[in-house]
Amino acid sequence: MSKPESPYPLAAHSRSLSPDTRHLLWSVAPGVIWIVVFLVLPSLYLIGVAFMTNGPYGQPQMPLTLDAFSQLAGFGFLGWSPGNLYTLLRSLWQTLLATGLVILVAYPLAYRISISREKWRALMLLAVVVPSWTNQVIRAFGWMNLLSPGTPLAELAQFFGLIGPNMGLYPSNFAVTLGLIYNFLPFMVLPLYAAFEKLDYALVEAARDLYASPLRAFWLAVFPQTLPGLLAGTVLVSIPAFGMYVVPELLGGGRAMMLGNLVASQFAGGSNWPLGAAGALIMLLATFGGLFAMRRIGKRLSGGEEVVI
Amino acid sequence: MRRGAFHRGLTLFWWVVMAFLYLPLAVIVFYSFNAANSSAYFAGFSLRWYDKLIHNDQLLSALSNTLVLGIASSTLALGIGTLIGYGMYRHRARKLGWLIVLIYLPIVMPDIVFGISEMAFFISIDRQFGILGPSLLTMIIAHVTFQIPFVALIVYSRFVGLDPTLFEAAKDLYASPFQRARFFLLPTLKPSLIAAFFLSFTLSVDDFVISFFNAGPENATLPIYIWGAIRRGVSPEINAIATLMIGAVLIAALLSLMFNRHKQH
Repeated sequence: MSKPESPYPLAAHSRSLSPDTRHLLWSVAPGVIWIVVFLVLPSLYLIGVAFMTNGPYGQPQMPLTLDAFSQLAGFGFLGWSPGNLYTLLRSLWQTLLATGLVILVAYPLAYRISISREKWRALMLLAVVVPSWTNQVIRAFGWMNLLSPGTPLAELAQFFGLIGPNMGLYPSNFAVTLGLIYNFLPFMVLPLYAAFEKLDYALVEAARDLYASPLRAFWLAVFPQTLPGLLAGTVLVSIPAFGMYVVPELLGGGRAMMLGNLVASQFAGGSNWPLGAAGALIMLLATFGGLFAMRRIGKRLSGGEEVVI
Repeated sequence: MRRGAFHRGLTLFWWVVMAFLYLPLAVIVFYSFNAANSSAYFAGFSLRWYDKLIHNDQLLSALSNTLVLGIASSTLALGIGTLIGYGMYRHRARKLGWLIVLIYLPIVMPDIVFGISEMAFFISIDRQFGILGPSLLTMIIAHVTFQIPFVALIVYSRFVGLDPTLFEAAKDLYASPFQRARFFLLPTLKPSLIAAFFLSFTLSVDDFVISFFNAGPENATLPIYIWGAIRRGVSPEINAIATLMIGAVLIAALLSLMFNRHKQH
């Protein structure tokens, strides 16, 4: 048995290791083994399943194939149907839309907190964060209450002809977007606030002294300074939003399904593990691709310095 | 003058967002005291749904599952995570990139992929060897996996904040490794260990997705119970249990505020 936690091929011969290295291995071994056995191996297994054949009871079988991916692209027994592809695109669109709207709400909000008196700032930040401490199922349930037929919001929407009579605002794509914004707003406010708090207003004054319009002063002197916060917030919002399960399940229904729901349904009801695993693999690739891209951009922004997000 | 209007606009915007954030929760709390059987109208103040909660055996077992899961997983994660945090600090001069990547993995992994990969893995093992079928045990394992990184990072950051010469001082005074752990490490770490435990516990109670996919039919936690109740059709009882959980969060928020005030003075 080789020790999975060691990057050094010689780890098996522990006598040849310095006491220092042995100390390191002993202290981190339990946790490293735990994470490798209970997370890395399961993920590798799932990735493997994505390339296997779907068995009669939804259990993965040999031989290896790319069937799951062609099913994800819509090719099934009955020819091509765009259902799964729509789900993929919808997840992407919902993520982009929600992230964009979260930025629009969080940006002025974070600025407003940063110009408040110091004694209020902690309280205001707490007020933004506290709702996200409640369970996400409860939060989605709260929106179900607010958007169901007969509530003031639903009646307002009916008055403007946005929905038919006796209908609610959920289940719908709109409700999913709303739920995503509600869930992830704090993740954008916190890094943006950190950026605003450090803001160097001397640059703004310099811009104003040089007769820059307020808008130009903002664009040239304020916005670039908040960019790292914006970037961190975008990572913190978009990655979990893309994999969201609870919100589309409760607020969306069948026509507002996202990738997370597609994956889950293949393991529970649909019982096509390879298809579900292929969807999960897409999600993993998006996650790590996103993190990697943001790291590259972050590095460039900070002039080659390492940024830990 | 224009600046004033801009400022007032921002303040107004702040309150609109506050309404957006708290309205869904307020509605739940409001209807939990509703005497009527439905959320469609308010028929006067009543505690009947809370009374029903106390006599709901399924709910009480969900509560006890939640507590057992939270305490067991946090305790395990505290031990394992503290060791990693300590190892990371003591050997921070080395290249530990592989360790950092491994520790961040559970944090960045989307929880649906996290939960499902563990479920698929455990089910396959169960089919092969007849162990690790969906149960409280698999839930504890899964929770410990996502708690370890947070404990490790909290403990590590506490160590980094310490004066490194303290370690030398303890050694110079001929403290044995055990004494160093007992009289120096443990007391200095105590606040962060408590913080790490509570964070782990909170993460555990707050988790739905990972628990949901690893739970057996008898291991429903509170969030899973609420989920099931919503799926079966909304009952005013959900409002009551959700209100209690919101109340717990508000108390935690109040405590954290008081604690921070205390630290500042």
